[in-house]
Amino acid sequence: MSTNVLICDDSNLARKQVLRSLPESLSTDVQLAKDGQEALEILRRQSIDILFLDLTMPIIDGLGVLQALKDEGIQLPVFVISADVQPEMQSRVLGLGAKAFLRKPIALDTLNEHLRNHGFL
Amino acid sequence: MNAFDLTEDQHDCLQELINVAMGQASDQLARYLDTFVYLKVPSIEQVKAEHLFDTLNNDLKATAVVSQGFFGYEGIRGEALLMYQPQDSNRLADLLGYEADELTFDEQIIDLSSILTTTFLNVFASQIDNQMSYSAPRLLSSSLDKINQHLKQQSFNWDFALKVRISYQVTDYSFNCDMVLLIPEEAITNIKTVIDRILADF
Repeated sequence: MSTNVLICDDSNLARKQVLRSLPESLSTDVQLAKDGQEALEILRRQSIDILFLDLTMPIIDGLGVLQALKDEGIQLPVFVISADVQPEMQSRVLGLGAKAFLRKPIALDTLNEHLRNHGFL
Repeated sequence: MNAFDLTEDQHDCLQELINVAMGQASDQLARYLDTFVYLKVPSIEQVKAEHLFDTLNNDLKATAVVSQGFFGYEGIRGEALLMYQPQDSNRLADLLGYEADELTFDEQIIDLSSILTTTFLNVFASQIDNQMSYSAPRLLSSSLDKINQHLKQQSFNWDFALKVRISYQVTDYSFNCDMVLLIPEEAITNIKTVIDRILADF
């Protein structure tokens, strides 16, 4: 069975960067969202196995998404991929239940290491 | 369409390069101020040289403008202006908590601006396989004449300005600051070439 992947970033380039970095096993069933609201609509509608989430976005940002998932009891592994590398932001994100924090631009070996640590590889 | 117009894809790419650069600049700012900085999506606006002063005029209720030149390879160079609104520079003074025996407010705002400018441009440059050096940052009087005069003294003719509105919200305080990058024509052409190279990879 294929893994349902959701990539949420307001930048088209950033979405493609993540998409291109995914191992083959995760790249067959990928959906894209361009802000937090679009992502939440998808997440409420169907079951997603892994979410790659940007933080700084219009409408609903990454923290807003994490908070909504928590409030609504939607559980799934979230990998935050962000340019906002402040240590406090990293701990906020992990405090809201994200599995990992990856800094932009995304590094392939770091991504694979986190995927491996969480059983996706 | 003139040489400075970006396609939607080029704009998106530039925006992402700027996001990454801004993220690290904000991290430095947060460390400098020993606080947490909340980031919003920056807005990017291109301004042609002849219109810059029209738009600056509206903005030039600014009390503080810090100017710093940058020089990279392949003719990528320009002048970065960091502009603060009066109410924001008062807040900044509170935030920096300067004391008489320490650095003056002027020195602090120059330091702060230089941290933002150099971190931003270093990260921006590294993403396009470039490397920057910088001139010493200068605090300019906010009068339009003085700024105009300063810009005229530059060793290049700039034709294009990239205005990046960066909004930093710092816990109890919030202040906005505009970063204006003045870039000569050949440099923006080079930047566009680099952007197209990145886009071609996708």
